[in-house]
Amino acid sequence: MTTGQAQTDTELVTLTIDGREVQARKGELLIKVAQENGVYIPRFCWHERMEPVGMCRMCLVQVDGMRGFPPACTTPVAEGMVAHTDTEPVKKIQDGVLEFLLINHPLDCPVCDRGGECPLQDQTLAFGPGESRFTEEKRHFEKPIPLSGLVLLDRERCIQCGRCTRFAEEIAGDPLIDFGERSDRMQVVTFPDEPFSSYFSGNTVQICPVGALLSKPYRFKARPWDLSTSETTCTTCAVGCRGALQSSSNRLLRLLGVDLDAVNQGWLCDKGRYGYEWVHADERVLEPSVRVRNAMVDVSWPEALEAVANELQRAIELHGPSSVAVLGGARGSNEDAYAWVRLAKGVIGTDNVDAQLGDGLPADAVLGLPRAEIDDLDQAAAIVLLGPDLKEELPVLYLRVKQAAVSKKVPLLDLAPVDVGLTPYATAVSRTVPGEEGVAAERLVAAIGGRASGDAGIDAFAAAATGRSGPVVVVLGRGSVAQSAAPTMRAAAAFAALPNVRFLSALRRGNVHGALDLGLAPGFLPGRVTLDAGRGWFAPIWQTVPKERGLDAEGILRAAADGKVRVLVLLGADPVADFPDTDLARRAIDGAGYVVAVDAFLSESTRRADAFLPCTVWGEKAGTTTNLEGRVQRLGRKVSPEGTTMDDWRIAGELAVRLGNDFDLEFVDEVTDEIATVAPAHAGARSQLLRRSRDGVVLPVREHLHEIMVRTGDLNIMAEDGPAVSWDPIRVDAAEPSEEGDAAHEVDEARGEAERLEREAPAHHEWDRAANVGDAPGRDAYALRLVSGRELYDGGRITTCSPSLAPLRKDSALMVHPQDLARIGVEEGTQVRVTSSRATVTLPVRTHPSVPAGTARLPFTADGRGASELIDTTTMVTDLRVETIS
Amino acid sequence: MGRFSGFLVTARQMFKPRLTTEYPEQVREYPARRHGRHVLNRYEDGMEKCIGCELCAGICPARCIYVRGADNPPDDPVSPGERYGFVYEINYLRCIHCDLCVEACPTEAITETKLFEFSWNNRNDSIYTKDQLLVDDDGHPRKQPWEAWAPGQDENLSEWVRATSPSGMAEYEGRVSWSGDLGHGVRDPGPTQAELDGREEID
Amino acid sequence: MFTDDNRARARDIVAQYPRARSAIMPLAYLAQDQHGWLPPEAIPEIAEFCGVSAAEVQGTVSFYTMFKRRPCGRLVVSVCTNVTCLVVGGPEILEHLEVKYASDDDVTVEEVECLAACGNAPSMQVNYEFHERLTPEVAEAIVEDYKAGRLAARTVSGTPQ
Repeated sequence: MTTGQAQTDTELVTLTIDGREVQARKGELLIKVAQENGVYIPRFCWHERMEPVGMCRMCLVQVDGMRGFPPACTTPVAEGMVAHTDTEPVKKIQDGVLEFLLINHPLDCPVCDRGGECPLQDQTLAFGPGESRFTEEKRHFEKPIPLSGLVLLDRERCIQCGRCTRFAEEIAGDPLIDFGERSDRMQVVTFPDEPFSSYFSGNTVQICPVGALLSKPYRFKARPWDLSTSETTCTTCAVGCRGALQSSSNRLLRLLGVDLDAVNQGWLCDKGRYGYEWVHADERVLEPSVRVRNAMVDVSWPEALEAVANELQRAIELHGPSSVAVLGGARGSNEDAYAWVRLAKGVIGTDNVDAQLGDGLPADAVLGLPRAEIDDLDQAAAIVLLGPDLKEELPVLYLRVKQAAVSKKVPLLDLAPVDVGLTPYATAVSRTVPGEEGVAAERLVAAIGGRASGDAGIDAFAAAATGRSGPVVVVLGRGSVAQSAAPTMRAAAAFAALPNVRFLSALRRGNVHGALDLGLAPGFLPGRVTLDAGRGWFAPIWQTVPKERGLDAEGILRAAADGKVRVLVLLGADPVADFPDTDLARRAIDGAGYVVAVDAFLSESTRRADAFLPCTVWGEKAGTTTNLEGRVQRLGRKVSPEGTTMDDWRIAGELAVRLGNDFDLEFVDEVTDEIATVAPAHAGARSQLLRRSRDGVVLPVREHLHEIMVRTGDLNIMAEDGPAVSWDPIRVDAAEPSEEGDAAHEVDEARGEAERLEREAPAHHEWDRAANVGDAPGRDAYALRLVSGRELYDGGRITTCSPSLAPLRKDSALMVHPQDLARIGVEEGTQVRVTSSRATVTLPVRTHPSVPAGTARLPFTADGRGASELIDTTTMVTDLRVETIS
Repeated sequence: MGRFSGFLVTARQMFKPRLTTEYPEQVREYPARRHGRHVLNRYEDGMEKCIGCELCAGICPARCIYVRGADNPPDDPVSPGERYGFVYEINYLRCIHCDLCVEACPTEAITETKLFEFSWNNRNDSIYTKDQLLVDDDGHPRKQPWEAWAPGQDENLSEWVRATSPSGMAEYEGRVSWSGDLGHGVRDPGPTQAELDGREEID
Repeated sequence: MFTDDNRARARDIVAQYPRARSAIMPLAYLAQDQHGWLPPEAIPEIAEFCGVSAAEVQGTVSFYTMFKRRPCGRLVVSVCTNVTCLVVGGPEILEHLEVKYASDDDVTVEEVECLAACGNAPSMQVNYEFHERLTPEVAEAIVEDYKAGRLAARTVSGTPQ
């Protein structure tokens, strides 16, 4: 919601629009009220998610008693207002404005990517004069110039509505574009050396009312009428943004942001928007293969499955179930995760399963801490940010936190180890030494409790938060991959003492929350129950349940390196690139007896596999996914898989059959339904309910049934009549939830199912705070403490296999505070020798004011000489010695 | 008359002039604007007129046209402007020769010849690609081995039917409002409405 | 880059405004006075002082023609050729001066719209100082006076020196 709407109150007023009496909340904007009541007032500059500016003059209307013609987008409704939108004078104004806008518009619609879904085209047809009196030469500019690597600008087509520049400043907080020059030379400009390198630049293309801003990846790929659309959920990160996925001729061509109020509010990050390219990458592996005498040989699926099943069988028989381990699963769907959990825990009987690769948080905390929803941010008493840079790792969550802090004036405390994207919007900043997050958290708890904390920033924040209602939302994650999860857990233990505190766990991989919820973690079973609590419930449903708690990713890798893992399954996981300790990961892959890769690409890990089972990926498969607030949403299947790839859940099912246990799951919906009947947290989330619920279902289902909005319409990007809507918020109509329970019968069924499982199934796991109190590590005064986080465009598959995103990667350097650089005694950019307790590498060093003295920042790039060579996973933190090379 | 009434109809027809001809030995004269196989035209300087806008594909009721655009190479442009038709295919097993594509084309790139006698033994041949549709360097259709061209069928390629011309709008009478074709130059504006109607000019 | 002196002045200017971004134009004038024109390198520095992005400063300074984003002479001669001046000889003055100073690096002659001095047309400005009721000869003599220092020129931003 924009702040424009924040000023509205609940008081209702009655007004008349074109002779019809309508009711609206006082202070709501006339243009919006009219639209909600079926009167479309043409507009260009007004966007519901941004502040109104009244620049384009297209929405001028007549209001009785008001002088002149007020713009409907800046006029709040009032009691007794009488507005006219279709009188002769108004029509004359609309004719005039459109004729004027078209004076310098090139009308090259046939070659314009917007042609066919263009608001200027549509509104000219609906409200325009039909003919122009302008016969002079139009202005000319060089045809598209790049604003960034992803966005092109055609200045001839621009109508100066300012949507893009306002988006960049208001929403994204990256004001890298602005209007320059004047009169007919007026144009959107960047500063010459500073491209529009915002992580959200693609949104400006979506909201541009003409073809002035164009997506480079989509340029000339298709016209709107040959695209077909499916609703989907982006799984690039764990935010779970809703999108409209479009394809033509079995190629994914575009992802548009759908306005899901609770999550992304219409916006997408560029990685999510353009990351579809990797689906069609040439590097995709499309045929199964097995290793025969040290070479990979393409085989048929039955042969490959038989080979893997035989290895599993042999390992179980000779070395017991715990000689099998499964790593990964955070990139698939919930169905994939469930089927693999059922295979691993319910058929094989091993608990050595982990969806995280030692770079996340312990599953018991993620599953057991009280959860916040993203929407809670707007109503929060205060927000505490303890974790990675959201702008780099969870970009749309960054937008939501920024909106809460800026538009809703929610106090924001930044406890990240270095300056992050949200730091400029924070009410208070407290930089603690990495590893001592717990101390900061305890100080905050003290400050909120009314005691002085000894930290001015924290005290100021506590003062700002005092007296505010609503929950305290903690965005909890590991501020640095270079430290263990223990300091974060210690902080969580402190925060958990706050009244009405809720957590958003800032784990980054697409469906990591879905995978953990479904038991892809040691010690857990599907539906957020522990192994011990759920054993009795799952034993009769599954063939078996693991006897004892297994190993996490680090444990699995150590066991594999010691030769104790006979079969290691990599479920879309690349430990060599992603595990903080590259060397251990390499030794583990080499030491494992038999490595099965279920993946779409060859990576440094899967290259060493003994069997490669190619799987389908996002866009090619249906199913559901769970975001960081626990919202289960459906995935859209838009293109047919190429080659002979198979869904991950089906691979698990096929292997189970060969191990003597038929899951009897034929379609993906059957997997969803099985989850809804056996997993306590998911109880009731059947495929039919998920299909009918517009905003998905938040887990645990029984606590969120009252929020379900039953959809009453379909996603409609190309409107049947009236302008194409893709430039305005794309929404799906839904019925408001009601108290009386007259919602769809799917909701009632879900309630029944949820209540049954509440009676019969084990209770959800709750986090034990006492187990997480510990001490912070000491530090050598000469060392720099390493802080390592992900960047949005990293060495991961989505970036490197998407031709449009790959060039956006930045090279990495060790960033230190200027003071520390002086102490090391080298110039900016020189190569230095960096030594940790594990390794010594040579890196260029640069200064950055965002890095506090005593720390050093090094991006965790997934390849090359990055932090993963240096990080010591056996200690809580990693300290570096930086020396000149003599 | 009873049972013989039917024969009377036959008998009466026997003495009327015959409408059918011995096709293909005898070929009738074609109407000037008959719809036949398409061509993709070029400007007099040899540039392709097609800009790959896909409007023809969008309007096609039989969904028989497949077009994909691409960026014009800046140093060696295929067509004027930013975009050119990178792929252009028409499936003649589907085409109903309605000419809506010709109506929709903003650059007069696609027009129709009068050829309709073409058949093939291979379904793949029914899909004409851009190489086959594009006129040759003299501005004439590229004749495929399976096409039986009669004299005159490849003439006046841009004499296409357009609902609004030459006489749909009075102010366009006598005005040439289309560009020249490679090998054919600019065509005559055509008769005015008055000439078509056979009456005197009003003013 | 600002000189140390001007950096201090820039800080004072920024302090005058409730919002730092209001200082974009005063700082752009300051930079223009220092360099004799507004070089692109000055823009990120102004942006930093004002807490905005370089694109926003670029947008602002490119709106106003009085910010010279290309090197110009020490004297900017703006000759009006709008209606009143047009009928009493403005274009002739412009042409005369343009020819005369075509290769003079010290003097930049530009054509401008109405200077609001129609009462005493034709008119021109030299570094925003008005001169009215001109003829080509008088105009040239005035410019020569400035060049020779007989008249004290303002800066190219119009700031009295």
